[in-house]
Amino acid sequence: MDLFIITAAIVGFYVAWNIGANDAANSMATSYGSRALTLKQIIIIAAVLEFAGATLFGKKVTHTIAKGIVPIELLDHNLVVYGALAALLSAGIWITISTYYHLPISTTHSIVGAMLGFGLAAVSQNHLTIEQIKWDVLVKIALSWVVSPLFGATLAFIVFSLIRFILLDRYSSESVEHVFRYLQVLTACYMAFAHGSNDVANATGPVAAILGYSGTVPFWVLFFGGIGIATGIATWGYRVIETVGKQITELTFTRGFSAEFATATTVFLASYLGMPVSTTHTLVGSVIGVGLAGGLASVNLRIVQKIIFSWIVTIPVAAAMTISIYTIMVVFI
Amino acid sequence: MKFFRSVGEVFGYSPFRSLAQHARMCCWAVGLLEQQFEALRKGKYDEVEKLRDEIDDLEHHADQIKEEIRGRVTKSLMLPVDRHDLLEFLKVQDEIINNCEHVGHMVTFRKVQAPEDVWDEFSVLLSKLMEILNYYEDMVENITQLIETSFSKKAVNKALEHVPIIEQLEHECDLIQIGLHTRLFNLENAKPLDIHLMVTWVVHLGYVANAAARASDRFRIMILGR
Repeated sequence: MDLFIITAAIVGFYVAWNIGANDAANSMATSYGSRALTLKQIIIIAAVLEFAGATLFGKKVTHTIAKGIVPIELLDHNLVVYGALAALLSAGIWITISTYYHLPISTTHSIVGAMLGFGLAAVSQNHLTIEQIKWDVLVKIALSWVVSPLFGATLAFIVFSLIRFILLDRYSSESVEHVFRYLQVLTACYMAFAHGSNDVANATGPVAAILGYSGTVPFWVLFFGGIGIATGIATWGYRVIETVGKQITELTFTRGFSAEFATATTVFLASYLGMPVSTTHTLVGSVIGVGLAGGLASVNLRIVQKIIFSWIVTIPVAAAMTISIYTIMVVFI
Repeated sequence: MKFFRSVGEVFGYSPFRSLAQHARMCCWAVGLLEQQFEALRKGKYDEVEKLRDEIDDLEHHADQIKEEIRGRVTKSLMLPVDRHDLLEFLKVQDEIINNCEHVGHMVTFRKVQAPEDVWDEFSVLLSKLMEILNYYEDMVENITQLIETSFSKKAVNKALEHVPIIEQLEHECDLIQIGLHTRLFNLENAKPLDIHLMVTWVVHLGYVANAAARASDRFRIMILGR
C-alpha cells in the first residue's frame, strides 16, 4: 500500500508541476505579453499567489474531483486507490503527450475524463451500478466548460466596452494605458490566485481520494499541490511564459486588464461553486470578448475549433486510458 | 522548445503595421519620382535610370507586403474592420505604387526635348503629387492610433479629416494636368513622339493622384464600415 501512496505522491506532484509549468504559465503570459510585468516579477507573483489560491481556496474543487464524480464512499478503499491512481497516471500521460504535440488541451478535462473512466471501470466490474456514477455532477461540469468561456467572453466584452466608452473616448490613450499598467498588476495577482484555487484540484483531487477522502481535504494535501504548481512555474513555466508572451504582441494594458479580470472572476466563481473549469479556455473566451468589443488588432478564431476538438478527444482518451491502467492493476496486483 | 501548450495562438496576425508600411512605400516612391523628373530636366540620364531601378525595387518590396497581407488575412481572423474593406483598400493603395513604377519606366523610353516652362509645369505637378502622398501617408499612419483607442470618435475624426483635403488636392492636380496637356498639344517645333510620350506621363501621373484619392476613400469606407 505504501508503494501506491508514494507513486500517487510522485504522479500527483508531476501533474501539479505540469499545471504550474503550462496552465499557470499560459494564464500569466498576458501580463508578460503586454509588458505590464517583467518575467521575474511574474514568476514571483505567480508562484506566491498560485500557492495561496491553492491552499486557501482549493478545497471545493478538490472535493468535486475526489468524490463528486465517482461515489468513492461506496467502494472498497483498495479499489479507490487503484482507480484514483490510474486516473492520475493517465491524466499525467495524456497531458505529457499533448504538451509534446502543443495541443491546447485542458488538465481539468483530462482529470475529469480520467475519473469518469475510473467510475466506468468500477461499473464494468459490478462494484457500482451505472446510475451510481454522479451523472448530474458530470452534466454540471460539462455545462460549466461551455459556460465558462462564454461567461469570460461576455464579462471581458462588458469590461472593455466600459473602458472604451468611459475612458478611451474621453482621455488620451497614453494616459489611460498608463493607469491600467498598474491595474494589470492587480489582475495578474487575481488571475494567479483564481487559477491556483481551481486547478490545484486536478492534482489534489485524486491524491485526496487515495488517502481516504472523507469530506475534508487535509491542508497539507493542498499545500503539496500548491508547492507543485509553484515549482512548475519556477522551473519550466518561465520558459512557457516567454514563448507564449512572444506570440502576444498587440496587447495593451487595458486589453490585458479586461481579459485577465474576466478570466479570473469566472474561474474564481467556478472555484466557489466547486466546478473544475479550464482557465486557459476561459482566457481564450475572454480574449475573444475583448476582440468582439473592438479592442484587438486581430483574433485568430481557429483556436476555437482546436479547443472544441481537444474537448472531444480528451474525455474518451483519458477515460479509456484509465480503464486500461485500472484493469492492469486489478488483474496483476 | 518542445514541452509546452499555448493559447498565444488566439492572438492572430495583425495586418495594420504592414498596411502603414505599404503606404509609406507609396509615398517614398512618389518622392523618387520627383527626383527622377529633376534629373530628367537636367539631362542626367544615368541618374534617371538609377532612380527607375530604385522605384522598381520599392514596388517589388511593396508587392511582397501586399502578398503577405493577402495570404494571412484569412476568414478565421476576427479584425476590427471588415476583411473585404481592408483588402479592397490595400488593392487601391497598391495602384499608387504600381503607377509610380509605370511612370518611372516611361521616362526612360526616350530622351525628350522640351522647353523650360514645360519642365516647370512638371515640377509643379510632381510637388502637388508629393503633397497628396504626404497627407495620404499621415492619414494611414493613424491606423495604429485608431486601434489603440479602439476607434474612438476623436481618433476617427482626426484620421478622416485628411480625406477631403486629399480630394481637394487631387482636384488641384487635375487642373495642373489640364494646363499641362493644353501646353503640350500646343508646343511649336516639338517632335510628335516627344509630345506623345510626355502626354502619357501626365496621364499616368494623374493615375497616381487618382489612386491616392480613391484609396483614401476606401480607407474611410473601411474605418466607418466597422
